[in-house]
Amino acid sequence: MATNEILRMHDDLERALAKPREERSWIMVVDVRKCVGDHGCTISCIAENVCPPGTSYRKVFESEWESYPGVDWFFMPTNCQHCDNPPCMKAANAVAKGAVKKRKDGIVIFDTKVMAKNAKAGAAAIKACPYTAIVTDKGGYYTAGTPKLEKYETRTFFENGKEVTRKNTKGATRKCTFCVHRLESGMLPACVSTCIGRSMYFGDANDPSSLVSELLKNEKTWQFNEKLGTKPRVYYIGYGGRANITAVTAKTCLECHQ
Amino acid sequence: MTTDKKKKCTSNSVKNKKGNGLSRRTLLQTGALLGASATFFYKVERAHALLEKISSSASTAYPLASPENVIYSCCLQCHTACPIKVKILDGVAVKIDGNPYSAQNMIPNMAQTTKPVIAARVDAKLCPKGQAGIQSLYDPYRLVKVLKRKGPRGSNKWETIAFNKAIDEIVGGGKLFASIGEDRHVTGLQDLYALRDAKTAKEMAADAKEVASGKMSVAAFKSKHAASLDTLIDPEHPDLGPKNNQFIMQCGRIEHGRKELAKRWLNGSFGSVNFYEHTTICEQSHHIAYDQVTNSYKDGKWGGGKEHMKPDASHSEFIIYFGTGFVEANFGPPPMAEKVTDGLASGRLKVAVVDPRLSKSASRAWKWLPVKPGGDAALALGMMRWIMGKNRYDTKYLTAANKSAAEKIGEPSWTNATCLVKIEEDGPGKLLRASDIGMGKDEFVVTQGGKAVVVGKEAVVGDLDFSGEIEGVKVKTAFTILKDEVMSKSMAQWSELSGIDVADIEAVANEFTSHGKKAGAEMYRGPVQHTNGYYNGQAIISLNMLIGNIDHKGGMSTGGGHWHEDGSKLKKPFDIGGMHPGKLAAFGHKLSREKSSYEKSTLFAGYPAKRPWFPFSGNVYQEIIPSAADQYPYGAKAIWLHKGTPGYSTPAGQTALKILADPGIIPLVFATDIVVGETSMYADYIFPDAAIWERWGTPHTTPDVPQKASKVRQPTVEPMTEVVTVFGEKQHCGWEAVLLAIGERLDLSGTGKDGFGPGLDFTAREDYFLKFVANLAWGDKEGEAVADADREELMIFNKARRHISKIAFDPVRWEKAAGKENWAKVITLLNRGGRWEDWNDKFAMADGFVVHKYNGNMNIYVENVAKQKHSLTGKRFSGIAIHESIKDAGGRDLDNQGFDLQLITYKDILGGQSRTLPNNYWLSSILPENYILINTATAAKLGFKAGDKARIVSATNKKGVWELPNRDNVPMVGKVKIVEGIRPGVVAVSWHFGHWGYGASDTSIDGKVVKGDVRRRTGLCPNAAMLIDPVLKNACMSDPIGASSSFSDTSIRLERA
Repeated sequence: MATNEILRMHDDLERALAKPREERSWIMVVDVRKCVGDHGCTISCIAENVCPPGTSYRKVFESEWESYPGVDWFFMPTNCQHCDNPPCMKAANAVAKGAVKKRKDGIVIFDTKVMAKNAKAGAAAIKACPYTAIVTDKGGYYTAGTPKLEKYETRTFFENGKEVTRKNTKGATRKCTFCVHRLESGMLPACVSTCIGRSMYFGDANDPSSLVSELLKNEKTWQFNEKLGTKPRVYYIGYGGRANITAVTAKTCLECHQ
Repeated sequence: MTTDKKKKCTSNSVKNKKGNGLSRRTLLQTGALLGASATFFYKVERAHALLEKISSSASTAYPLASPENVIYSCCLQCHTACPIKVKILDGVAVKIDGNPYSAQNMIPNMAQTTKPVIAARVDAKLCPKGQAGIQSLYDPYRLVKVLKRKGPRGSNKWETIAFNKAIDEIVGGGKLFASIGEDRHVTGLQDLYALRDAKTAKEMAADAKEVASGKMSVAAFKSKHAASLDTLIDPEHPDLGPKNNQFIMQCGRIEHGRKELAKRWLNGSFGSVNFYEHTTICEQSHHIAYDQVTNSYKDGKWGGGKEHMKPDASHSEFIIYFGTGFVEANFGPPPMAEKVTDGLASGRLKVAVVDPRLSKSASRAWKWLPVKPGGDAALALGMMRWIMGKNRYDTKYLTAANKSAAEKIGEPSWTNATCLVKIEEDGPGKLLRASDIGMGKDEFVVTQGGKAVVVGKEAVVGDLDFSGEIEGVKVKTAFTILKDEVMSKSMAQWSELSGIDVADIEAVANEFTSHGKKAGAEMYRGPVQHTNGYYNGQAIISLNMLIGNIDHKGGMSTGGGHWHEDGSKLKKPFDIGGMHPGKLAAFGHKLSREKSSYEKSTLFAGYPAKRPWFPFSGNVYQEIIPSAADQYPYGAKAIWLHKGTPGYSTPAGQTALKILADPGIIPLVFATDIVVGETSMYADYIFPDAAIWERWGTPHTTPDVPQKASKVRQPTVEPMTEVVTVFGEKQHCGWEAVLLAIGERLDLSGTGKDGFGPGLDFTAREDYFLKFVANLAWGDKEGEAVADADREELMIFNKARRHISKIAFDPVRWEKAAGKENWAKVITLLNRGGRWEDWNDKFAMADGFVVHKYNGNMNIYVENVAKQKHSLTGKRFSGIAIHESIKDAGGRDLDNQGFDLQLITYKDILGGQSRTLPNNYWLSSILPENYILINTATAAKLGFKAGDKARIVSATNKKGVWELPNRDNVPMVGKVKIVEGIRPGVVAVSWHFGHWGYGASDTSIDGKVVKGDVRRRTGLCPNAAMLIDPVLKNACMSDPIGASSSFSDTSIRLERA
């Protein structure tokens, strides 16, 4: 909360945008001690990216541990980790060339047109991803079958740097883009700005004065499925039990999820 | 949710006191908002350059980053009413985010002078419900045209009807339903508009008050007002008021802006007293507890109390949350969560959560205290027993008896802990006055070393404990009386009553008193929606009084306050209160008998009264319809249901539906709603209302926000409702159009031409709300006006509204409504969605006092309440917080009759009232239905497995169904969810589900069936199981002092389904 971290990250963002793309290195940091499991990030993502019905690029898992009355209840937000060694890229491009690209700023981008035309490439990506980050757009709308198909579902939106509608994304596999369309316009990703617990951070790891660089330097962080060698760009801070909120290892969650 | 709950959590994790490295506290105290790099961001030229770069590059053009595609408004998916940015694409609202100018959505908030071109790119925080507002706005079941029922009430058969015809019918009355075989003559509003003359009304109002208090006889009244007796409901009881009172406006989620207009119209234009909000099904008893504790005694009367306080969570070191938290509901998650999580992560703050259910807030707590439902006072009194036993209260604070004594010790507040209370035969009564012992007038009295001392203006410090006689009068200090209650039970007994282990009671009491003033006891609906709710609330507030944390950083605060949109402070540009020519004085007891006392009425006939009277409370929502059925104090002839659903949201709401379904009881029922809701389904007419994002308001802010804040809700898109003509002006149908149209038909004062005064017409909603905004723009004092909008801001303002038709946005019309000389300032405000105090270093400081202090007295002993008798038992109430068992309206303890599981309810963060889950499909993609939550032990005892279906039954609902007149029953059946996070023996069922309205059922309109959506039928609504009061027989139980309705005092059984 101190010093308005949101404005600071905006500042970091503008310095990054002033550099050529290849000099930026986007990372996300999630302080799970501050996640309160409200799912605002998930809904913001769904609204921003017009995710296929029943899916979101971002999920907050909930897990109850121990027994009454010493019960713990954990919240674990996850999304695409924009790995530097992305298993989805290897798998999908083997099926359809150019399906997945790794940008110089770190973002892993799907080609919507290629994915829409090559269901097998998408399926391969989903199978390869160890983070359950990828969804398939099977078409359909939330308001289909109701008295009115609403325009917020059929509208144009931005995905992978292009203006599309759900008609373009039908059949494609889709995932988090670190809200690249917002970044390039000087805005933070939709999940980062909406977080009411202020657990989300985003910025340029190549800039030593950015907030995320400071967090990596000063806080104990951990990553998901590190041993798989995916080199994820999402870092986590924290996880202790209810009686020990300030703990900084994911001892509990990683027992199952490492 | 995974079910690996048996895994042991090894605690080798590193305990982290102040955070590794980066000390956020240091950053906050640096003073400069952002440090050197900040200036980079705030440079407008940079913003423009960036925008140009963005818009010139086709591949990265993102229109929602541009200020001309943003309109600021105010959410209302829950009552936190967060200021929002609504982003518009091709005329459609497509994304909602938090407003960065708002102090409740960004800390520190963006400077008010920041240009919109910069603010457009900065999204502030917002909860999932706010994000999903798009789906409430664009709900496929939204009503566009006016509906009139074409079958029995509740049958959900409708025909569309022209707006003007509908208005003619409700105003004119007649055999309105002859076409469907109902021969009944329905009284129209014109017949209820009996008393029309302002002068007569004023005189009768004054005299009726005299009659009620026994100062004037009925005969004298009848003689004086002989010419107007036919306007009265009953000339033998003038204090019931005029027939106008038989027109009720029962509002659910009405908010500031519309609230003031509603009272202006119903009280002043129509002449009925019966305007209601929903507060007693919300958290009223907590307000009443705060109100009574903060009342001051002036000119022989108690008054001026504050509604509530909240912990200054940014600086607290310990907060104990009773029946609420900082994540799911309360008031509310976006402003609160961050302050707490920041403290939890850095180690500054530790919290304890008192809740029978492990809430998300409790999941972050040092201690989760799984209290017995209703056992909150017992826990608080148990804590006080430890605190008093160890002398851990602030003696210096408590012994300061008046303002000057408080000032001497540097405290902004003081208590009446040392004031002497007269001990009557039936217990403590009034506070001792100097005149009682021949030492003065009506000043209070304390003792010093056992000798009586009058509390005048000079500083007085009194004895905390005294019990004895002064001049033959038996007295005790307020503190002694509280101590008597606290010590009346052992720790073991308080433990048994609250369900919390003695060790835990002692641990939280210790923690609460180990942080100086930087600790707070917080509460919301959990402890107060019980029949003993007021006392539970008072007990919790007493904890705060014991440590004297009021106005201290980290302690309790009344918040930053707001500017006065009604112009009542600066009196310009528009002193709205004085701008109602021909205003009527509405008078008479309200139908709910709130704010009246039984003893001061012509209906007094000894105890018991027929139904309870509520002298301390207001907005007694659950009593309105049932009182109309009993015709006590009188019947209702017409009811306007507005944005509320008493038949669904009230405990035992089915009792209201039964009454509404019978046109013989309340002959005319019309509603303003955005859909056919659970209760509006029982109306005769439904007028479609504008949705939140299509309309106006000036919401106030939770005391959780330390900065002064005035929020503005304004239309962000064209209202979807049909265009109608009122006072010759085209406007969208909505609540305002209806009240203006009725005003037009009946020539009501304060509406139409010159409605605000000569040359100031009131013919459309903007005429009212833009004056409110103009008042905010000028502020409460000279020199507080906001700057005029410059050319760029004016351009952005107009361009952002290019998608709205002239009917809904005409800048020339709006300028006229706002006043030409105010327009440029109004635009500045509308371009920011309100105005907020800028952040400064004083807010960052961790020590000292909060910036906006309460600076007043706190009552350990509430004389007002102690003087009053229970209207059914005739016994006096208590002046201090006591433990009281759950009782019915007749004051009798409940007999659980073999129903041995306790039912509680709660809100999920994904749900507000009826308008969010499951109708907002994004939200229900995460939570498609609700469950019957029970503990593993309870499940084992009853033989339930996860996913089994169960039915909830209670003593007053043995079938376990919602009996819906003229419809199929809706069962209270749901899937059992077995969790560790709930007290064994308690059953928790959330709100939000179990709909039969709101698109859940098939609806017939003009003979065509509009199919319901099965996704909206999921889950269950537990309210029909909540106990019907055995004395009242047609309403739920209530708290006799605070009037909160009882949500959590019902015992149930679970049957296999």
